[in-house]
Amino acid sequence: MSISGEPVAAADSLVIGGELGRRRPRRPRSEQALIRGVLAGSEADLEALFRRYWPRAYRAAFLIVHDHAAAEDIAQEAFLAAVRRLDRFDRRRQFGPWLSTIVVNRAIDWIRARSARRETAGDPVAESPSPPDPPIGRYSQEVLNALASLSPEHRAVIVMRYLLEYSPGEIARALELPRGTVNSRLRRGLDALESRLGEFDPR
Amino acid sequence: MRRHAPQMLREFRAPDESGAEARAWSVVQAAYAARDPAVRSRPHRRLALVPVLAVIAAGLVLSPAGARVGRLITKALGVRHAAPMLSSLPAPGRLLVSGPGGTWTAAADGSLRHLGSWSQASWSPHGLYEAVVSSDRLAAVDPQGNIRWAVTRPAVSDPTWFSPSGYRVAYLSAGTLRVIAGDGTADHLLATHVAPVPPAWRPGEALGPFEVAYVTDAGRIVVRDGDTGNVAWTASAPTKPRQLVWSGDGRRLVVRTTRDVRTYDGGGDLVATLRVAASAAALSPDGRSLALVVNRDQVLVGGRQLFAGTGIRGVSWSPDGDWLLVDWPAADQWVFVRAAGAPRVAAVSRIAQQFSPGGSVRAFPQLEGWCCTVQGSSG
Repeated sequence: MSISGEPVAAADSLVIGGELGRRRPRRPRSEQALIRGVLAGSEADLEALFRRYWPRAYRAAFLIVHDHAAAEDIAQEAFLAAVRRLDRFDRRRQFGPWLSTIVVNRAIDWIRARSARRETAGDPVAESPSPPDPPIGRYSQEVLNALASLSPEHRAVIVMRYLLEYSPGEIARALELPRGTVNSRLRRGLDALESRLGEFDPR
Repeated sequence: MRRHAPQMLREFRAPDESGAEARAWSVVQAAYAARDPAVRSRPHRRLALVPVLAVIAAGLVLSPAGARVGRLITKALGVRHAAPMLSSLPAPGRLLVSGPGGTWTAAADGSLRHLGSWSQASWSPHGLYEAVVSSDRLAAVDPQGNIRWAVTRPAVSDPTWFSPSGYRVAYLSAGTLRVIAGDGTADHLLATHVAPVPPAWRPGEALGPFEVAYVTDAGRIVVRDGDTGNVAWTASAPTKPRQLVWSGDGRRLVVRTTRDVRTYDGGGDLVATLRVAASAAALSPDGRSLALVVNRDQVLVGGRQLFAGTGIRGVSWSPDGDWLLVDWPAADQWVFVRAAGAPRVAAVSRIAQQFSPGGSVRAFPQLEGWCCTVQGSSG
């Protein structure tokens, strides 16, 4: 699984060095090194860790809950929870998947709680004071519309598989589901998604 | 086509990613600056910081300036020295809480009782029963969680007891407003095309009339008799109502909309408008003080900032009106702030864990009310 595909923050990848202030590339610090730094009190390492994982955490939450304010809260709370528990984190594991699991579980839970309160996404009253900002980027609105047709559970496995790039086995472990359930949700979810996305296929 | 969807997902970008990232980083940075001592590397320095932070936390209720400083320190990280477990409440009464772990009550001595796997709940006026819902079921349970009666209706939510007698319960069901007697009989439809805003009974005499306020799909506020269906008055608001709160004497209806907070008199005339976009509101038991959560980062009472911190969700008054419980999911804390007398702040952390024991999903629970305020509003 690759979870570190996000561009590393500029401050983390470049240093100004030498008498002439020459820029030379620096190899991004490993995740383990960043975690050690965070535990030792380095805010720079915390920021590097945050910049590395925040975008995917926020995107994943948004793709599941379809509410940008809630997604921001979910990703933020998940990161805070992860940092709070960092001293107990098993450093043989990867931080990104651990954070993503917290994000996805919280996002699913948020959907369930909202559903219990009957504040559905289409409700004209229950939503945010201002109209939600539309997603940006090529196909983003189409992806969002297509995902809206899936249940939260199907959305979660699709997002984990194709945005966060988990393997089916990792999804099963993260969501505490049987492997077969994950596979069937992936298959059905992807079929439904692609049939809807076909309507927007520019080719 | 099968290769197309994954590619589109990878190219997806959420709204305002850079803005969200900047906001979240400021919160994370502030949280880290005052992180738990276990993560710090220089304990002697940590000890020196403790009294400073304690003073700052106390300063939250001393002055607006103190609140601003406190806001920097407490941004979503929580109040310093928060108790790791709920061991007592600062005022008499019991809390009602619902979350992924079901519905719980918390007594004044901090003891918890699990009432069952319900998704929502509300106190009866004197705390003798709780109305609880789960999916398609509405029930009344006693303080031990024993079901006294239950009915099955589609998509049930937001049960609300009539005060002061508890002789009626209003609830929403699949876009309709229904009313049932407090003993579980005479369930009937009162209105259709109802918005998902919790209904609010107008406090009155024990035997009625039983007038209930609700919001229509079109955003109109309606007050009507829960038995006869006769409409007492209606009013429109320029923006969508989100919460209805009656004063304890039933002479004022406070309506929180997406843009302001409006007060109507008993006849439906608008008497005051507060132009503030609040995310939660709660009236004190005596009906004299309105607590508002503004911008999700500050609690105002009578225009005075009582508490500040990023990610506040709601507030609930203690039954004696002396304390406010601030519902703070971003910090995973409940913060008790004294609203009367000398300023005091007491906090409890790890709320999600305490109300999801053994569960795979730990989420901050919803505070349903602090028994036995007349309104029971928790925002």
